Amino acid sequence: MTQRKRLSTARQQGTLGTQEEDDDPTFTQPSTSQVQKGLEKLTPAQVDQKTAEVVQYFLVKDQKKLPIRRADIVKHVVKEYRNIYPEIMKRVTRTFDQVFGLKLVEIDTKNHVYILINKLETVEGPSSITPTNPKMGLLFVILSVIFMKGGVVRETLIWNTLKKLRVDPGEKHEDFGDVKKLVTDEFVRQRYLEFVRIPHTEPVEHEFHWGQRADVEVSKAKILEFMGQLHEQDPQSWSQQYREAHSTTDSSQASTSSQR
Amino acid sequence: MTRASGGRYGAENREDMLRPSNNKLTEVLEQANKLFKDVRQAREAALDAQLLVVATDLGKEKASQMFAEGTAFDPTAFAEHLLSFMGLNRLEDEEDEQNGGTVEGYLPQDAWHRLARKAECCFRTAPSFHYMMGSFHAEPPPPKPKIARQMKATSKDAKRIMPTQLKKMDDSHQEATEKEVERILGFLKSYYQDDPTTPISYYEFVVDPNSFSRTVENIFHTSFLIRDGLARLYLDNDKLPHIAPVEEGDVEAEGSCSRKQCIVSISPKTWKELIDVFGIRDTMIQPPSSQNE
Repeated sequence: MTQRKRLSTARQQGTLGTQEEDDDPTFTQPSTSQVQKGLEKLTPAQVDQKTAEVVQYFLVKDQKKLPIRRADIVKHVVKEYRNIYPEIMKRVTRTFDQVFGLKLVEIDTKNHVYILINKLETVEGPSSITPTNPKMGLLFVILSVIFMKGGVVRETLIWNTLKKLRVDPGEKHEDFGDVKKLVTDEFVRQRYLEFVRIPHTEPVEHEFHWGQRADVEVSKAKILEFMGQLHEQDPQSWSQQYREAHSTTDSSQASTSSQR
Repeated sequence: MTRASGGRYGAENREDMLRPSNNKLTEVLEQANKLFKDVRQAREAALDAQLLVVATDLGKEKASQMFAEGTAFDPTAFAEHLLSFMGLNRLEDEEDEQNGGTVEGYLPQDAWHRLARKAECCFRTAPSFHYMMGSFHAEPPPPKPKIARQMKATSKDAKRIMPTQLKKMDDSHQEATEKEVERILGFLKSYYQDDPTTPISYYEFVVDPNSFSRTVENIFHTSFLIRDGLARLYLDNDKLPHIAPVEEGDVEAEGSCSRKQCIVSISPKTWKELIDVFGIRDTMIQPPSSQNE
C-alpha cells in the first residue's frame, strides 16, 4: 500500500482532529518501575476490579464501532490507577483474548486509539443467528472497489457505482437513509474508510482509502474469493490484487494488540 | 496559444486528459515546454509552475489507472453481478441498452441483507455487546393504589373503611381477629363494670408480662376497639394513657368530637420496662385457650 497521506478534512470529526486533542497532555505513560511501585500499593482484588471495569467499558463503547481513546479510558475508568495503566491494559488484553476471543488492537499508536476485533473466523452458512446489518453490505461494496482498484479511488467512482446499485447519495435510501453521511461520516469515524481531499481540485473532490479498522478487520483474500465467485473467475486472474491479499499474512493481519 | 491558456488546461479538460486512450497530457507538457522559452516575467513563470503541478497530479492518476496488470477490474460489471446476487428481478426488456446501461427491475426488500450476510465472512468484526435477556424497563412502576387510611373519620367513613380493610386480610384470619377484638371488648367492659370509678391503665390492660408477642397482639386488637369507637383512650392528670369502654350514651357525641390518631410502638425493651415500672404481674387479657404459646 502506498504511503498514506492523511489530511484533516472538515468531514473528519471526532477523534481525528488535531493531534493535541487526541493525546491527553496530562497522561504520560508510566515507566516500568513506576508501575511496579504502584502495584505494590494495591491489593490484587483492586487491580482485578479495575481491569474488569475497563473490560466492560470497552465492550459497551465498542457497540457503535467507534474507536476508543486512551485519554477517555484514563479519564473515565482508570482514574487514580493511572500509574499502573500499562499493567491494567496488559490484563485487559489478556482477558479479551482468553475469555472473549477478541483482539484489542491499537490502530493508531500515535494518538492511542483502540478497537476490538474478533479473533475467530466468522462461521459461514445458515447457522448465523445474529441479524445482519445491511450497512455492512454497502461497506463491503465500497471496500471491494477500493481494493480492486489498487487502494485509492476518487469519490465519483464510488458514487457512480453505488448509483448502479440503486443507492444515490443525493436521495434518502430505504435501508441507509442519508447515504452520503453514512459513507463519508459514519464509516470514516468508525475507521472503516478514509475520505481524503485531493489537492488542487476545484470544486473540491475527495478520494477514498481503506481505514485503519478495515486494515485489521477485513480480509482481502476473502474479498477476492467472493469476487471470483461473482465474476465466475479465478481469483488469481487478478494477479496484483491476489499478491497483495496474500503478501501480509492475512490470517494475522496488521499489528498485534499493543499494551499502550 | 497564449501562456495563460496553458494554465486553463488542467481544470477544464481533466477528464479528457485522464483517458488512457489519448496522449493529451504529454502533448500539453510538450507545449508548455515550448512556451516556457518565451517566459520573461515572474507571473508567467508562476503560471508555468502551476501547470506543472496540475500535470503532475494528472500524471499520477494516469499511472494509478494502469495499476491492474492482470485482468482489469470493471466496477460496472461488478455492480451488475451484485444486482444479480442480491436477487434483482429483471424485467424482460430490450430497453436496457437505451437506458445507458442501467438495468431495469426492482431489488427485493432484503437485497442488502443478503449481501451483508455474504460479506460477513470477509469481516472479523467483534460481536456487539448486548444483554442476552434484554434490559429492564427503566421507568418507575406505576404508583400502587393507596390503601385508604382515614385521618379524621366521621362515623359514615368508618363504616366504609371497615369492609375494605377486612377484605385485605386473609379470610381465615378475619374471623379470628373479629372474635379476638370482641373478646377483648368483653374483658374491658367487665373490668370497667367491676369498678367504674377506677380508671384502667392502658399499659396494664394490654401488656402481657408472660409474652411479648401477645402484648403486641393485644395492642393490635385494642386498636380496633378505638377505631370503631367502642373504646376510648384518654390521658389522666399524670399524662398516662387510660382506656375505657364507650358508654351507650356517649355514642352520640362521637359525631361531633374530633377523632385523633396515634401510632403505638413497642419493643421488647420497652415491654420489659413497662412490666417493671407498672409492676405488672398478671395479664389482664387472658390468652385464648386454643392458642399455643
